[in-house]
Parts: sequence; C-alpha cells; structure tokens
Amino acid sequence: MTLSQQRRFTTPEPDETLDSLAARARPDLDLATAIELIRGWNLHIFLMRRPRGLLLGGDVVFIEPPLI
Amino acid sequence: MSDAVVLAADIAAGHDGDAELVVTVRYENGVVGVVALDSDSAFDIMQSCGAASSADLVGRPWHEVLKGV
Amino acid sequence: MFDILIKNGMVIDGVGSKAVLSDVGIKDGKILAIGENLKDGGRQVLDAAGLVVSPGFIDPHTHFDAQLLWDGAAKPALEHGVTSIIPGNCSLSLAPLKAEDRKTLIGMFQQIEELPPAAFTDAFEWTWETFSGYRAAIEGTLSVNVAPLVGHSVIRLWVMGADAQQRAARPEEISAMQDLLRECLNAGAVGLSTSFVDVDENARPVPSRFAQFQELDALCAVLGEFGRMLQIVPEFYDTDITIARIDQLAELSLKHKIPTTLSPVFDNRQSPNNVPRTLARIDEQMARGARVWPQMQTRPIDISFSLLRPSLFFARLPSWVKILRLPVTERISALRDPVTADKLVADAGEDGGERLMGRLIVRGGGEAPEHLVGRTLGDIAAERGEVPARALITLSLENDLEIAFLAANGGHDSTDRIGPMLANPLVHIGASDGGAHLTSFSTYGDTGYLFSEFVRKSGALTLEHAVQKITSEPAEIWGLKDRGILKTGYAADVVIFDPLTIDRGIERPVFDMPGGGMRYVRDSIGVDTVVVNGQIAWAKGAYTNAQTGQICELA
Repeated sequence: MTLSQQRRFTTPEPDETLDSLAARARPDLDLATAIELIRGWNLHIFLMRRPRGLLLGGDVVFIEPPLI
Repeated sequence: MSDAVVLAADIAAGHDGDAELVVTVRYENGVVGVVALDSDSAFDIMQSCGAASSADLVGRPWHEVLKGV
Repeated sequence: MFDILIKNGMVIDGVGSKAVLSDVGIKDGKILAIGENLKDGGRQVLDAAGLVVSPGFIDPHTHFDAQLLWDGAAKPALEHGVTSIIPGNCSLSLAPLKAEDRKTLIGMFQQIEELPPAAFTDAFEWTWETFSGYRAAIEGTLSVNVAPLVGHSVIRLWVMGADAQQRAARPEEISAMQDLLRECLNAGAVGLSTSFVDVDENARPVPSRFAQFQELDALCAVLGEFGRMLQIVPEFYDTDITIARIDQLAELSLKHKIPTTLSPVFDNRQSPNNVPRTLARIDEQMARGARVWPQMQTRPIDISFSLLRPSLFFARLPSWVKILRLPVTERISALRDPVTADKLVADAGEDGGERLMGRLIVRGGGEAPEHLVGRTLGDIAAERGEVPARALITLSLENDLEIAFLAANGGHDSTDRIGPMLANPLVHIGASDGGAHLTSFSTYGDTGYLFSEFVRKSGALTLEHAVQKITSEPAEIWGLKDRGILKTGYAADVVIFDPLTIDRGIERPVFDMPGGGMRYVRDSIGVDTVVVNGQIAWAKGAYTNAQTGQICELA
C-alpha cells in the first residue's frame, strides 16, 4: 500500500543549532527566512519548550508548512 | 505566498486538566491548521503582541503574534 | 471440586462471542471448566444470576509503580474490575535505578504523578537498583497482575548519569543501554516506554527526549529479540507531529518486528480532524504490516483551575486576563478593590457570568468549605444573592484563592464522535493514566464509564464488544500469556458485574496517600466480584486479603 504524502520533517543532529539545521533543511531559502519560517512551524520547540528553542535529539522539526 | 494569519482562538481542555488555547492559523500556503498552546505560552504571546484577550488575536498576522517570543 | 464455582451468569468470553448463560469453574488459579450446569460443586459458590461474568479488565497505561510498593491492589483500580495493569509508562519506571539517581527520578515522578514526597521517604524502603530487584520488591504482596514496562529515561540515567538530560549518547553508551534493556526484558519487563512530551519538576525535558532516533532504533533492536512492546507519548496536541511519530513507530515496528503503541490520542471539537487523520495514517501503516496501536481513553477531560494561577479559562475576558497575570499579592489586592471587582463582574457578561461560570463546580480536596463542595457556582451564587462572577471572586478571596473550580467535560467529551472511535478496530482503549495526576483529577473508573456511556447510553459498542476491547484485545496486543479470555486453562481473572448499572462513581477527594496526601478517586458502581488468579480479591464492596497477583507471563 502506498503511503499518502505527509508533512516533511527532520530531526536535529547532535549539538546542532537552529542556524545549521535551517541551512541544512532549507538550502533553497536565505538563512534568515528559513529560520523565521522554521520557528513558526515548530511552536512545540520555539514557544512551548523551556528553555525555548532547546533542540532535542528526538525532536520532529517541520521544514515546511502544513500540507494542503 | 501571503502571510500566515490567525483565524480563531478557542479554549479547550488539555490532557492535564488545564485549559489550553487552540489557535487556528491559515498558513502562508493557504492551509488552515490548529496549534494548541499551554497557558504559559498562550499568555506570553498575548502579552508580547499586546492582545488583551484571546479574541484579540484573531486577524493578526502569525509572525506578529510570535515576534516577541 | 472447584475452588470457586460461579453459577448462572451471563458469560462473555472476551473474544466477542455473544453472552451465554453458563457456569464457570475455577481451580488452582485457572479456568477449569465453562458450561451449563456444572456439577462438580465448589468450595465457594457464587450466584451470578442476572450478572455478567467476564475476563478481568486490562489497563495498559498506568503509573502505579510506586503505589504498588504499599498497595498491591492499585486501589481503586481493582474494584473497577481491573485485574492486570501495565505501569512504567512515559519513559519512567522505578528500575533500573542507581541509589545516587533516586532523587533525580523522584522529581520526575512527582511532576508526573503528583505523589506527595512522603511516598518516596516513608512508604517503602528502596531495596533495589535492578529491574529484577524492583520486581522482587512488589512480588508477593500483589493483588493485581502487573506487566511492567521499563522506562527509557531511567535506562539513560543509569548509563549516562546527569548527562542523560544534557546530550546525545555515544556509541558505547548506546551499547550499554542495549545490554541493560536486555537484562530488564529477561527479568520480565513487557517492553520499553519513552516520551517526547514529559518534563521534570523544573520543566526540563526528561532524559528520553535527548535521545537521537538512532538510539531508539538500537533499543528497539533489543525489543525485537524478545518481540516486546515500545510505548511512546507523542506530542498529542499536534496532529502533524503525531503522524510523524506514527511513521517513526511504523518504521521501528516493521524493521524489528515489534508491536508499538502511542498514548494518548484525544478528540476535541476545536480540532475535529485530529483523530480522523491520525486513524487514517494508522490504517495506512497497519496495511503495510506495521503494528502501531493508538490508545484512547473513554473519559472526558475536565478543566480545573483556581485564581492562584492564571488559567486560559478566562482568556476571552480582557479584564480578567489582566488581573490574573498580576503577582499573587497584587492580584488579591486588585480582587479586593470594589471598582476592579465591579469591572470584572461586568466583563463576565450581561448575565453576570451565568452562562460562562454558572455551571462551574466547587472542588473538594483543597481549602473549599465542605458545604460548598460539589455544588455549582450558579447555585451558590443564588444562595448568596450574588451573580456567579461575583461569587467566584468572593469565594476565592474568602479562601485565599485556594478554592478550585471545575468545568466538566471540557474536551474529549462528544459521545457521538468518540463512541465510533472507541469501537474502531484500530483503537486500543487505554490511556487511563491510573496512579498519575493524583491531585488534579481521578484516573479511575474508565472501564465503568465505557459501559455506562458507550454501551448503555449511546449503543456505540455492544456489551460483548466493549468487554473484548478491554480484555482479549489488550492481552493480545501486549502479549500477556493466557489472560484476557474466559477459556479453559487460562488464568482465572474474572469480573462479575451488573450490565445495567456498571459505572464510575462521582469524583471525590481522599487523603489515603502516604503522609496523608490527597488524591481524587472514583468508586466503582455495579461491580459485584473481582477474582484474580483464582481468588476473590474484591467482593460486595470490600477488598479481601488475597494477594494472588502475579507479574504477567508473556507470550
């Protein structure tokens, strides 16, 4: 059975920062835009977590907005 | 691609018995999604963007709501 | 002669067969015979005329790890008909645990379970470090059967110490975790639990959340050696993340040939597509051969709050938001100020807050005066000659803000929507959280609610189907050997209940935790007798001295 398409995500590599993750995951965007978009798509990390923005190895980090 | 915008903000029951804020967002690609926020996060974004109540979030650009956090 | 002969009951075998009038004979802890008019007689004969005789219920998501050390019945779970429990969920178990790490783990347990500190200092002696040591500490005094998970966070803590909550593991550390997990599985662990959500008492993510996917993959390789379960807590508040976790679980399930489960999954009016999308993805992955079981609770979720902490219950009301965000002393001063209070009341609506606040219920267990507990704010307000919003303010001030209010059925509360979800063959009924959230709400009685709300009231499930969903299905999903079915040779875990009345009681506070600690419980209704491994553990409203609970043997 073919799986339906779902929203793309990545997981942080050890000691990875948002900057490096954004550059790795969205090389098609300029870095500042990629960072702002990734923050807005991942509020579980960048809003609700304490400390905010702490990237964890097990995280699902979306690299695109919700799918149509 | 237009800016993401808040369409609605509703109160719901969270798993732990606290109220949470379910924010409906129309994203930049036109997709409508929901984001459930715990009380600390919801109050923080309301304060940082100057929203007096949950209803005051509706209609605001999503990046404006999030800019202070 | 049987040890126990149950006569004249409507026997429901747990696999979905239609109820039949029959007798059940029990001997040496096992079901010895099932049939009409059994002749052998019994040392104890129970007349179950008009009652259902079913397999004992299985609760697959609990946190009774500590409570089992002083209460082998996991009260009040057993009196609701629950004869087997699975503790150690959400990455946290009490073993394996080095002595020097106890304080760290206690902080996590207190955050999640809300157990009082005395539970870890006065109620038992820490006699173990290993998983087999913990098993030995609870075995022998159990009245309920236990299939314990081992927690990923404690495995990390054992191997990495404080670094478990700081960083990714190195290859040699992952290898050590694999060895430790293997040891726990050999000692009877039913599987591994991990969490992507839980935090400790300082709001810092628990150790399991610092693991890379490769670490989880390596641990699942060990689970694969035994065919045991992986349980996770996904980011249940977000559908896209939940689906991402389902895909990860499916990958692990297929690669290592293991069952997996995620809990909880909730339905809310505010995000009505959450469960349908989640189940659609589960369906796709199950069709590929993956075993990914979403757990759904039966009970609705209530919102609880006091004015001690800002609650989003008031998020629609600007003046309330402003006042409740003040520091406590300033908040109290503001609430005492007549002009401010008048404005708050006015902002609550032209009806004085009747629509928004009138149905709030005053909760017991805190500082609330006894005569107010359980009553609606509207009722109390009318008695005091106030509108509800005013009564909420004055009652809070009279009790130093230590009075809690409950908005019942705030979420996961649409019987019409949830009934078909619970009946769905992809859904694993569970996620009770028994033994956790002690001071926030009762986590007991979900099985009674299944029958009262979804069998009798809505008819979403037949009686036989409901029994199947909480007996043979969980036994098969978790690999509990010879349990969950009324069948010759199977363990004699039996519940006798009245199908016309079985239910959960009202939520009430009790102070029966170590050190007089409070928790909310619900009594059982309509459960007549509970038999565990062939002995009566609870009957006619009272616990017996039977301690026949076992660590579950696994298939």
